[in-house]
Amino acid sequence: MGTINSAFSLISGALDADQSALSIVANNVANANTPGYTTETPNWQENSPVEINGVPYGDGVTETGATSRRDSVLEERLDQQQQLASASSVRMTALDNVQALFTPDSGSSSSRAGDIGSDITSFFNSFASLEANPTDNSLREEVLSSATTLAGDISNAAASLNSQSSGLGQEAAGVTSQVNSLTGAIAQLNQQIQSISPDADAGTLEDQRNEDVSQLSQLIGINQISTGNNGLALTTTSGQLLVSEGSSFQLTTGTVNGATDFFLGGTDITSQLASGGGELGGYLTARDQDIPSALNSLDQLAYGISTSVNQLNNAGTDLDGVTGTAASPLNIFNEPTQVAGSAASMSVVMTDPNQIAAAGLGQGTGDDSNAIAMANLANESLLQPVATTSFSMTQNLSSATPLNGTTSGSVQIYDSLGKSYNATVTYTKEGANTWGYSISVPDTLTADTRVANQVRYSFGPGETVDPGTNLTITGSAGGGTATIVAPVVVPGEAVGSAGPPATGYVAALDAQLTAAGIIGVTVTNTGGVLTISGATATAGSVIADPVASANATGTLTFNGSGALISPAANVSGITFGGLSDGASTMNLDWGLFAANGAANINQTAAASAQSAQSQNGSAGVNNGETPTDFYSNFVSTLGATVSGVQAENTAQNASVTQLQTQNNALSSVNLNDEAAAMSTLQSSYQAASQVFAMLNTIMASALNLGEQTTVS
Amino acid sequence: MRVDPSYVTNLVGSLDQAQANEQQLTAELSSGVSITSLSQNPVASGENVLLLNQIQQDDSFTQSSNLVTGQLQVADSTLGSVVSQLTQAISLATSANNGTMNSSDVKSIGNQISGILDEVESLANTSYQGVYIFAGGQTSATPFATSTATGTSPAVTTYSGDEDVNYLETPNGQKIQLNVPGDQIFLGSGSKSVFGALNSLVADYSSGTVNTTQAVSDTQALSTALGYVSQQRVTIDNSITQLTAASDAVTSDQTQLTSAQTNLMQADVAQVSTQLSLSETQQTALEDVISQLDSTSNSLFSKLQP
Repeated sequence: MGTINSAFSLISGALDADQSALSIVANNVANANTPGYTTETPNWQENSPVEINGVPYGDGVTETGATSRRDSVLEERLDQQQQLASASSVRMTALDNVQALFTPDSGSSSSRAGDIGSDITSFFNSFASLEANPTDNSLREEVLSSATTLAGDISNAAASLNSQSSGLGQEAAGVTSQVNSLTGAIAQLNQQIQSISPDADAGTLEDQRNEDVSQLSQLIGINQISTGNNGLALTTTSGQLLVSEGSSFQLTTGTVNGATDFFLGGTDITSQLASGGGELGGYLTARDQDIPSALNSLDQLAYGISTSVNQLNNAGTDLDGVTGTAASPLNIFNEPTQVAGSAASMSVVMTDPNQIAAAGLGQGTGDDSNAIAMANLANESLLQPVATTSFSMTQNLSSATPLNGTTSGSVQIYDSLGKSYNATVTYTKEGANTWGYSISVPDTLTADTRVANQVRYSFGPGETVDPGTNLTITGSAGGGTATIVAPVVVPGEAVGSAGPPATGYVAALDAQLTAAGIIGVTVTNTGGVLTISGATATAGSVIADPVASANATGTLTFNGSGALISPAANVSGITFGGLSDGASTMNLDWGLFAANGAANINQTAAASAQSAQSQNGSAGVNNGETPTDFYSNFVSTLGATVSGVQAENTAQNASVTQLQTQNNALSSVNLNDEAAAMSTLQSSYQAASQVFAMLNTIMASALNLGEQTTVS
Repeated sequence: MRVDPSYVTNLVGSLDQAQANEQQLTAELSSGVSITSLSQNPVASGENVLLLNQIQQDDSFTQSSNLVTGQLQVADSTLGSVVSQLTQAISLATSANNGTMNSSDVKSIGNQISGILDEVESLANTSYQGVYIFAGGQTSATPFATSTATGTSPAVTTYSGDEDVNYLETPNGQKIQLNVPGDQIFLGSGSKSVFGALNSLVADYSSGTVNTTQAVSDTQALSTALGYVSQQRVTIDNSITQLTAASDAVTSDQTQLTSAQTNLMQADVAQVSTQLSLSETQQTALEDVISQLDSTSNSLFSKLQP
């Protein structure tokens, strides 16, 4: 009987196991189309055998539960590739919008509308036409009208780029709420998984978590780190923590310099996010790299055309016999003060066509020599301040200098607004053949103007101050000195805005000086220029402008014959940021191994308002390109960028598809497999139930001792 | 390895791509333009800017050249008239100088030459579209005036223009002279001055008595001046010839450039049509595959007996 009972137990166990496995199959089939669902397979476990008289007898099988069929390495790889693909996809869409502003002119008159290349040609052609009859009013009108078209198309393109840029910022900001909700959900799932299944796969909970991580990967570049108890930590690709166990950290946005920036725990991580991938990375790359690069080209073009044309028009004689002067210039275009923003602000300021100076200086008004010169601008490189400027400096490091002795040299450098600073390199003798160096940019700006006993620094109209970190004013106050930090500028407020001293920024600054008891410093506002001045006779420095960056330091090592052996190459990447007037960060290279044997400080990557000549550097002109060549190169470069991103996106999508295929092959529900499994399990169930029926008969027969009686 | 059960998703992706491709090709066919965005062919887009720039420069030069040709032709025909007026004056003066005429005839010739002087002055003050063509750069004011003050004999014709010479620059940088300053034509130094000779002759014949030596000398001077005017006219004629040649060269250049630009930008209809047809075939094939694969009768479940 015991054996028959064992057989019953064995077979009913088999029926249970089959039933349970069939439920798993049914669950798989039901979830075949559930996003993120990972197919589950039953786990069969052999029951411990029973030993009778030393002979082991099998005790059947148990189905112990389902295991999700997943490959976490593959899933992570898929997520990583997804980040790249969605970044390039978003960037591609943004670039498509950018290139739509510069649709190629097919040559027909309708396709010419809005084409900057044609505008440039038409504008310079209008001067060529003027050669034929310099006094003709309609030809002069044509010059102004083509100038208006050119300026309008360039400024429209710049305005569209600016609006696309802010649109991308908004879209990127919209992504953050999705990111935050997903990181929140992942943190919650982490908690559930850790409490329910710390040691094994958590099935659908893990499916959900993986699905959320996969969605998050499309939005933002992340790294995944498995933690104890089946937990998961997520960081951005640059390492900032987004999810740790059961906690998530919210991504926030804020406005910095008019653009939306992204913060995590108070740290601005915008630039890291841009290179991180995901939609956010794509939006930010397009906003912070692609659009600024296109805008910069347009700015250079607008700056070059405006300044060159204005300069030449002021060098000729107009139809009324007048020549432009500094006080009353004959400008055709709004004269730009710096490259940045030139395209957006490009406009025609001349209204009287008679003011076009077609005639040469001192010539009759019917002369056309200046018109020829202006038409020829089409074939010349345009005036352009250069971004890279070299400043020479020489310093003798004497071997006779005692240990810890110092010597220093300085050179005047310029910020992006053309303000001058004295960069100082201080050398300290640290050993027989070693010198420490420290490159500093002084707190005190080189004064704009230096009159008797006074130092002045002027903020022009439209210049902004970043006073929270920068502009401080120190002066005599009651026997000692006191320092104030200049008041914060209301967004949109121009520091040097016109108005009586009693109002606006001037009044606020004045009130603060009075409150601190500082004497000897005065604030005035004349002609829209704010001037802060103080007599040097007063104790303490008058106007300080701390540069936010620390000094660049290092060590120079020479060999026995005085040749520099370390550093082995030029020192690059020296930056000084946080300048008071809102100037861009200064980027410097220290050319220790300059060709002429003297170390040069090279200023790079910051366009300056100062003309190249006044920066003691070589004159650079638009890379030697004519306006048309420049525009042609611009469209080629833009087209190549877009095409490159398209190719990249295609490749990445193909790679995603491939990984997805691999992952699906492993993890998604294959209905044919399930049908086969179901059929097998059904057969097995059927077989087990037949055995069960037979056992039942045997059992009845045993109970009745072979007689056909009531128990059957 | 197992097969990806979601193959239909991939096929739908391919179908989307085929459709996008068809849209692009259809757009090319309908617009006739093969490059509708920079990224389609960045190099050609840049090249296109340069070609269009040259084409438009050529076009602009052709227009300017038409305008200027008119002015130069007016100058030429004006100088032609001046030559015939001067020839007539020389003939009148020669007849007056042969000593056979009476006083009133001589006066009459003086009057006729005076009329010719007025006529030549008026020709020298010719304007074309509001521009005095013999005034150098001072094109807005009448360049020549003859003093009518009493007691001045012979009268003096003065020039208020300047010595400016204007040029038209061709797209390849050649400069074509557009004008000859009036004083160079009509007020040449010494015996080359047209107005000097004419004014002297008028004075010679005004009294009716001829100082033959003086009159012959003045007539001789007018002949010299006439030769000089003809020389200056050659400059104008040369400009017209140069302009015509330049204009022809530019037109031919423009034709070549336009053809290059068309090749660059225009869609090749035959090629695009073939591509479109291929793409359509691909789309149909994909649709068929999808409909077959996605059919529920393909599932193993449908084969299972209830």
